Amino acid sequence: MTPELYACIHAAEFPAQALLRLHTGLESQPVAVLEGRAPLETVCSLNRSARLKGASLGMTRLEAESIPGLHLLARSTQTEAAARAVFLECAAHFSPRIEAASQGTACSCVLDIAGVERLFGPPETLAERLRASLASAGLHASVAVSANFHAARLKAAASRGITVIPYRQEATALAKLPLAVLDLPLEHAETFVLWGIRTLAELAALSENDLVTRLGPQAVDWRDLARGALPHTFQPLEADFSLREFCAFETPVDRTDSLLFIGARMIDCLATRAATRALSLASLVVQMELEGGRTYQRAIRPALPTIDRKFLLKLLQLEIAAHPPQAAVVSLTLTAEAGQSSKVQLGLFARQTPEPSRLDVTIARLKAIAGDDRVGSPVLEDSHRPGSFRMESFAIPHQAVSHPSGTSQSSAPKSNASGSAPPRMALRRMRPPVPVRVQLHALKPISFRDREQSFNVAAAYGPWRTSGCWWSTDSWNAEEWDVLAETSSGSSVACLLVRDCAQNAWCIEAFYD
Amino acid sequence: MPSASALRIQIEHTLERHFPAALTPVPRTIREAAPTGIPEVDRLLDGGLPVGAISELTGPESSGRTSLALAFLAGRTQEGRVCAWVDAGDTFDAESAAANGVNLKHLLWVRCQSRGPQRRVFEAGVESAGPIACGKENAKPWTRLDQALRATDLLLQAGGFSALVLDLGSTAPEHGCRIPLATWFRFRQAADRTRCSLLVLAQEPFAQSSAAVVLECSPLRPETHNQTVLSSSTYQVRSGRQRFTPSIAGPRKPPASTWSATCAGQCEDRA
Repeated sequence: MTPELYACIHAAEFPAQALLRLHTGLESQPVAVLEGRAPLETVCSLNRSARLKGASLGMTRLEAESIPGLHLLARSTQTEAAARAVFLECAAHFSPRIEAASQGTACSCVLDIAGVERLFGPPETLAERLRASLASAGLHASVAVSANFHAARLKAAASRGITVIPYRQEATALAKLPLAVLDLPLEHAETFVLWGIRTLAELAALSENDLVTRLGPQAVDWRDLARGALPHTFQPLEADFSLREFCAFETPVDRTDSLLFIGARMIDCLATRAATRALSLASLVVQMELEGGRTYQRAIRPALPTIDRKFLLKLLQLEIAAHPPQAAVVSLTLTAEAGQSSKVQLGLFARQTPEPSRLDVTIARLKAIAGDDRVGSPVLEDSHRPGSFRMESFAIPHQAVSHPSGTSQSSAPKSNASGSAPPRMALRRMRPPVPVRVQLHALKPISFRDREQSFNVAAAYGPWRTSGCWWSTDSWNAEEWDVLAETSSGSSVACLLVRDCAQNAWCIEAFYD
Repeated sequence: MPSASALRIQIEHTLERHFPAALTPVPRTIREAAPTGIPEVDRLLDGGLPVGAISELTGPESSGRTSLALAFLAGRTQEGRVCAWVDAGDTFDAESAAANGVNLKHLLWVRCQSRGPQRRVFEAGVESAGPIACGKENAKPWTRLDQALRATDLLLQAGGFSALVLDLGSTAPEHGCRIPLATWFRFRQAADRTRCSLLVLAQEPFAQSSAAVVLECSPLRPETHNQTVLSSSTYQVRSGRQRFTPSIAGPRKPPASTWSATCAGQCEDRA
């Protein structure tokens, strides 16, 4: 079993460091950071030069301004957050398991470095590289390495530079540290002062029973802390994983090619980041800021999560081609939703179905040809209105894949395929219906004429009256006639002739075929 | 005494000028066929419509083409297969399809329209930033026929569809005849490669030699219930072309077959 080994990074005076990281010209100057509402601001952080000049924590702005040469900066939480992200990113290069251990104005974290010797060498080397990495990012920190979590944390906070505590010598390493590093409650800290206990070594030397008798059970933990023997359950940080790429253009872009050139790179980055976590991209949201302050947003949802860059780029291209932005693009944002990689077990006897990713591209192309709402699966609506339906996006039915042996699970009526039911006369609907002029005899149509030809009615069956939705503007009220007619050219047709009772208008609704 | 094989070779050699290989059976390629679900038509077609080939159902309005195509799709979709209907005239009736047993979830319907997809109008006042240029296609209006052919091409190339219906039933013959033969040849090749049955509904045959089967449909007689309700209709189907049928000596099959279709549930209610 690999022994535990922790490295603690401690960046003291983090508010000052975060600001000085960006103000490189002030690095060697005395700087103090103020927080609070004016005019009651106080110094919350300062660098070493400022401390040497006589500045101290808690000074008011007036007191700080009286120190000559001291630069005063306002505390910025956003800058600190950005610096903290950089701090953690540097740490993440050395270990994926990081626990935050910040206290006060310091920023510190503990890395679980057990088993990384092969990658980074012995603990001393790792600590040096860690410190150098932080220094290159503009942050100065102390590093302590120990087999005990708390020993590393206490030592890093109380010392400068690099400290490596040998295994089972934690008590010795912590012996000279003042009792204040334990952050004891005030009343107990005063008790220890009264007893003359000032260092961790003195605390560790006390009897456990005597401590518990006088200070309660929590004193055992303090004693173990002082001996460097307090156990700890590591709670690694779960970093927020968001797949988002943003690009602001120097000049507005009005060409699809240029947009796709950037989009390809962004998709590539998103796919790579998702792949590092064994994930795929389940959806892609394209947001564009357009000239004039308008925004453009479209969503791309492949049938299966994928990291196929060419496929996603093709979908993006088709989406932009079908729905071009109405102005030049100022900035482009791609936000992806991660999904599990698709795993489809194909069978030797599975039914022939389209490949999902290829079908996505095909449907996108079909929509570009025919229109968005004109490609899909028809779904009958729960209505008595003749010919009512709605379109839904087409997806490969699950049972087509999972039930290859044949019998469908659908609710469609079993019919002629099994020989149990005869075929039904199908209608061919006219969209929109063809208006006709009708001649009536005894309230029955005897002939009618559209724009092209005339029809003589051989037989008319009806009327069949239908109406509905009278309570809304979407109401209908019609008479239907099944008509057998002969055209002027001699051919016979069977059609559905409809009279709109509200407007007394006749039209050919459909042909029987 | 000469053997039977020697006699056969001798007879074939003698008749070689008039009947090459007279007594040798012609090698027959077994073509996969999918039943239409109408026994009379299946008998006429030796089992059904060919898989991986073009079949044309031709005839005027009310000749039963659509009912026959829906009966075929019903069988395919009920087996769990995926089909597509490219509708050049936007005349497909979902209720009729469902009444015939077509599983609509397994059907991709492409509704062609007279114009291309609507583009959002460029808003006035933003002169410097025009809409993104996507090529010349945006400016050119698409005809229904052109859309239908492109959609069919895409679906055939994509593969995975067991049956694809190209509905040109409302397209005027003078327009359909202008479809280049190269297009039909490409469709035939793609259908063969992807094992897709391509059904073309039209008023007249357009695919020429690329079609494996041409069925000429015509209305025969309507049936009524008590002279008040149109209850069913009888149609005639004639085999105009059957490319893969071997020439077999013997009694010829009847060249045409009749079948009937009843009215949908709505008309049953009327009766």
